[in-house]
Amino acid sequence: MLRILRDLLRYNRGFGLGCFLLLLVAGMAALSAVSPYPPLDVYVVPPDMPPSAEFILGTTSRGQDVFWQLTLAIRNTLLFGITVAVLSRIISLTVGLLAGYLGGAVDRVLMSVNDTFIIIPLFPILVLFYFVMRDNMSWTMLAVVTASLGWSYDARLIRSMAMSLRTREFTHQAVFSGMRAPEVVLREHLPYVLPIVFSTTMNNMNWSIGLEVTLSVLGFTDINTPTIGGMIYWANQHAAMVSGIWWWVAFPVALVVCLFVGLFLLAVSMNEYIDPRSRLARTGGAG
Amino acid sequence: MSLPLLELRGIGKSYGGGWLRHRTRAVHDVSFTLETGRPEVFAIIGESGSGKSTLARMILNATAPGEGQILFRGRDLATIRRAADRRAFMQAVQPVFQNPFEAFNPLKRVDRYLYATAHHFTGAQGRVAQEAKADEALHKVGLSLAEIRGRFPHELSGGQLQRVAIARALIPGPALLVADEPVSMIDASLRMTVVNLFRRLRDELGVSIIYITHDLATAYYISDRIIIMQRGEVVEAGDARRVLMAPQHPYSILLRASVLSADPPEADAAEADAAEAGVPAQPWSPAGASLAARSGDVP
Amino acid sequence: MTEETMMLAPPRPTPALPAPVLSVEKLRAYYQMRFFGVTREVRAVDGITLQIGRNEIYGIAGESSSGKSSLIKTIARAIRPPLNVVDGSVRFDFGEGPADIYKLDPHALAAIRWRHLSYIMQGSMNVLNPVRRIRHSFLDFAFRHMHLPMPVFLQRVEGHLARLNLEPRVLNAYPHELSGGMRQRVTIALATVCRPAFIIADEPTTALDVVVQKSVLTMIRGIQQEMGSSVLFVTHDMAVHANLTDRLGIMYAGRLVEEAPTRSLLRRPLHPYTRHLVASLPRIGDDAPKAGLNGTPPSLAKPPPGCRFHPRCPLAMDICRTEAPPMEELLPGHRVACHAVRQELAS
Repeated sequence: MLRILRDLLRYNRGFGLGCFLLLLVAGMAALSAVSPYPPLDVYVVPPDMPPSAEFILGTTSRGQDVFWQLTLAIRNTLLFGITVAVLSRIISLTVGLLAGYLGGAVDRVLMSVNDTFIIIPLFPILVLFYFVMRDNMSWTMLAVVTASLGWSYDARLIRSMAMSLRTREFTHQAVFSGMRAPEVVLREHLPYVLPIVFSTTMNNMNWSIGLEVTLSVLGFTDINTPTIGGMIYWANQHAAMVSGIWWWVAFPVALVVCLFVGLFLLAVSMNEYIDPRSRLARTGGAG
Repeated sequence: MSLPLLELRGIGKSYGGGWLRHRTRAVHDVSFTLETGRPEVFAIIGESGSGKSTLARMILNATAPGEGQILFRGRDLATIRRAADRRAFMQAVQPVFQNPFEAFNPLKRVDRYLYATAHHFTGAQGRVAQEAKADEALHKVGLSLAEIRGRFPHELSGGQLQRVAIARALIPGPALLVADEPVSMIDASLRMTVVNLFRRLRDELGVSIIYITHDLATAYYISDRIIIMQRGEVVEAGDARRVLMAPQHPYSILLRASVLSADPPEADAAEADAAEAGVPAQPWSPAGASLAARSGDVP
Repeated sequence: MTEETMMLAPPRPTPALPAPVLSVEKLRAYYQMRFFGVTREVRAVDGITLQIGRNEIYGIAGESSSGKSSLIKTIARAIRPPLNVVDGSVRFDFGEGPADIYKLDPHALAAIRWRHLSYIMQGSMNVLNPVRRIRHSFLDFAFRHMHLPMPVFLQRVEGHLARLNLEPRVLNAYPHELSGGMRQRVTIALATVCRPAFIIADEPTTALDVVVQKSVLTMIRGIQQEMGSSVLFVTHDMAVHANLTDRLGIMYAGRLVEEAPTRSLLRRPLHPYTRHLVASLPRIGDDAPKAGLNGTPPSLAKPPPGCRFHPRCPLAMDICRTEAPPMEELLPGHRVACHAVRQELAS
């Protein structure tokens, strides 16, 4: 594992850059643990101070230190992305692999549910959800709802792979070795699907973070949990751009862009590395 | 009296169909019986599209026949649906696949299929017991666990892999192996090792083998009985030697006549003499003999 | 069934080789790969020398990963990285003097391909565009090279199809409407319609049923004799070689180990590998036990030192383990690379 990491860092510039950006973002998020200010307290520092030696990223009109506020916001945003990705991966893998492997009625039922999720418009649903929940809308709730809306495309992709894997001879070999469906799916098919899952995880995180930022900027989320979108929301509420408090908006945006680009680069380079064909060629399978 | 090992009664299978769609008949009215206590190599011969692979899938209970019944030791395969019944069936009937490189997951080590089979069919608990079962089965095919432990499929030759696949199929102690083109993807120098192995399984372990192939020469070499299929129907059946030496049905005759002989065509006598003039008489013992004697591949 | 009726064409004496159409000298082509710092070199073609004369069918036999496919790709200059030519030359002589195919500029190469040199591949579906009629494939591949007006061209194509027992109406068919055998005959027609002087055939009958295989082989033989072309025919199936080729080269682990007129090679194989190969072929009516060869084919990435066959060879001696035997003409027209055979024939 360490050797793979070393090889990737040495031979893939995209991977190196992606790692660097993500480390930067993760480092910021980690610093939230040592934040000197409670996250929701306001007017703890002088408001509207530009970046300086004392407040390296300046302060907000609400009297919060942008740097420390940002550490918390990125932590929450990152956690949100990871939670959504993990939850939706679990759903899409289960649905995709089972539908593809079992086929028949199971496939038809699962895929009709899947297609329903594909065609329903996400954004209006989420906005509607906010209006229904109002004050009960919490960070966790939003993550669960986003995850349950974000698995369907990948499930279809995984299903199509599982369908072709099912007809391969080694699947029959596994069946006649006495393995049951869950074992076949987990031990024989999952390794083939994982590269796709890795790459779509990154994409899914990008998607869900983008969605969260959009909703927050519009104020359709729980604004009491600081997130990147939440910061921009408050900046807009205080007309930060108009009054020249650019650092309130620019730094959160820059950081989230770092996160997007980092995830994207990682997805691309990991995909290239994990692809079974290139992996086989490396270990001597082809030739 | 004992029930036949396997009995096919008027098996048929069609694909496609439905409203206004063309229906293709893959297999039509195939019947034959393999007796218990008389192990044999039973060859099913046919060209691509003759329905022989569909037939194999039906015998393995992977596809249900459209018409007719398949009885294994008197029990209709259609009634085998519960997991426990399926496992009991797999205990007695095991497949050998065509492409040994495809039959093992290229990303996984080959020995784990042996352990899984030992675990599920012999109840061997723990790695030590499973390894013992695997090693025992591998010895039956002329390999040992030491040779294949921890290997990936691409590290073994096609012949070795196919023998590992056969060893795996032997672990449950089956009475019947269904081998669909088991040697067509194996290199010529290794092919006979696998073919000879089938013969030994029949003679020493009493396993019956359904050998599905398009290759008449290997079918002649190992089979006891054969059936020849054309477009899903059996056109000729009987003793392997008789059918292949003196085919009766026009299609069998055509098939037999189309087999290219590996021996060079006889040249004009004069030309042959000229070609061999000045060449010392055979300095070798019969070519294969010295090699065959040393071949420790199958003990 | 007599042997005479099994033959596809009367055997001919091996033509003398005044000026070979193809001469390959000490050709080496390796797959050179780098994956994240892991460098691998697979010596698929390792020092091959052979000559093919005019009006000759030259067969190459070998197992999977013996390098036979890499060899013909290298000969046709149809290679792409990671397969690279490391050493040696491939010279064609189409009546204008020998020219190294790797020294030609792209224009000269394009002119030679299809005009003089053509390629019949295993998967006939891959050559024919599945969404266009066969007619378009002929127009795309051959029209440019033949410099004929359209009606004359179509007449030529139809005449050529007739020679391969194909009706003119296949031109209006789509590939999927034809059977496998017909498709393979169409690709043969495509490859030969320009009357090339040199045809490379890579396992063209392997995917076909035996009944169809025989008719396709008969056709290749017939068209070759009529046009006087040279054919380089690759297959692992010794029975096909026995019935089609004039001379036969046996490849093992990237090297040529034996080469002789097909008939004498099958009658009297000299190399231990060839002898085993010929002896182990099952034949209908032959009840003698046949044995497989022990050991496994060597990995081309890590070939054994000396003779590459020595770990499996019953005749292996000390010298075989250290020194690769040269390819030598030990009998007239019969080249073998084996220390043991040379000693035995010398004594």
